[in-house]
Amino acid sequence: MSSPHKRTDQYGLSRSLFLFELFRDAMRAEHVLKRAGFDTKAGAPPPEVRTGCDIAMSVPSNQVNSAEKVLLADGIPILDVVFASEGDLPPLQVSKLVKKVDFGPYLMIRIGNMKLTFEKASGVIVNISGGGCPDIPLLALRMIGQPLDKAVSPNELGFTLCAYTLQKAYEAALQAWRKMK
Amino acid sequence: MLLLSGTLPVEDSSLIFGTIKYDGKSISLGDKYIPKELGSIGAMAMMAASATAAEALGIEAPMGVVAGDMGQGAGSAALYAYLTEQAGALGATAVTMHYILPIRKPFMEFTEMLDYWKKRPFMIADAGSMLIAKATGACRKFDLFTPDAGEICFLADPQAGHPAYVKSMLFEIDTTEVPKLIEKAYAAGNAPRYLLIKGPTDFIVDDGKIMYTISEPNIPALEPIGGTGDTITGMVSALISGGYEPIRACVIAGRANRLAGQMSNPTPATQVFEIVKHIGEAVRKVADTS
Repeated sequence: MSSPHKRTDQYGLSRSLFLFELFRDAMRAEHVLKRAGFDTKAGAPPPEVRTGCDIAMSVPSNQVNSAEKVLLADGIPILDVVFASEGDLPPLQVSKLVKKVDFGPYLMIRIGNMKLTFEKASGVIVNISGGGCPDIPLLALRMIGQPLDKAVSPNELGFTLCAYTLQKAYEAALQAWRKMK
Repeated sequence: MLLLSGTLPVEDSSLIFGTIKYDGKSISLGDKYIPKELGSIGAMAMMAASATAAEALGIEAPMGVVAGDMGQGAGSAALYAYLTEQAGALGATAVTMHYILPIRKPFMEFTEMLDYWKKRPFMIADAGSMLIAKATGACRKFDLFTPDAGEICFLADPQAGHPAYVKSMLFEIDTTEVPKLIEKAYAAGNAPRYLLIKGPTDFIVDDGKIMYTISEPNIPALEPIGGTGDTITGMVSALISGGYEPIRACVIAGRANRLAGQMSNPTPATQVFEIVKHIGEAVRKVADTS
């Protein structure tokens, strides 16, 4: 892991990005850093280190050493730290990537590449489609056939950005179903 | 010979490898039976459809390699290692990569190793393997991607590292302005030579040029059913390994998937194994007339 020893904002690299091996670690890091009062932003890692299903957490470069200590104290493994300018961290767009398709007795929620469909009358999840990471088939296995309000949530079992996206679809479905009731 | 690779949602990350057999109810790789509850999801839906299509058309049965992975990467790492270190000796003419966790280094090692295979296989990617191919700039090391609507707008957006980062203006048009997205994906170098785009209308593309579209039979209930994209990927993989020209293979797979869907009389609650049951008959009928 690389550590910065000098201020980098003089080069326009005002943000330091923490990279993680697992998406779930990134989510924990966001929670821990925000709780500790850091100005934390989430977004796509730089192209040269991107895997396609990951997210980075950034803090101002002048806070990177203290942020690193907080993360390590909480047992969150850091894969690497890289520097970026303010605009180099494309944000997640999931809140803007929502479509609903009404199939009469069923409603399908699509967020990004994830689709979750439930029966309106019972709230039972009848299908989950899309995604590319290995935890999605597991989540489909556990969630299909369960009512929305009793199903395991993707956040509990998932490790990847695909699972995070499914979580957002699940939350939107739950909200839509509660409005129907 | 076709080699299909993907993960199973179980903890045991040991590799299972062998000829895929599907009898309409259960699926096995070599002498290992896959637990029934796992037999029709993700990579298994792809493998069941592929084995069924191959048998129906007299194509050599596909081989499969799978490993357990619940999203933490151990099984995916084992798969990358197998593909890099051992798969080259199989003499596969086509290789399909499916639900595998995107991990940068081992993926890149595998795609580099392909240059040393005695004969380069026809490379197909779907699901997570498309994400990592784009992330590593390796799309042109593949021959065919099989994206759906959410994935074609991701390929079209040069900045997006995952479909969750796609610009909303592209997401809004991902089923209505697919030709525009195709153009952007090729312009950015984020597509292989062939694309089979799965959606309300399927688009079959050769180097940026739309060769065919398939819209009939139009069965909206297929869209929510998990695995209906995986079955297309499985079928087209079998057809290509059987010597079908890639565009014709895409046309047959796209049409046969719709026909199998129609035969199952689906609702949005139908499970994909109900559709896989009809794939043999559907692919035979379509192949005879396409």
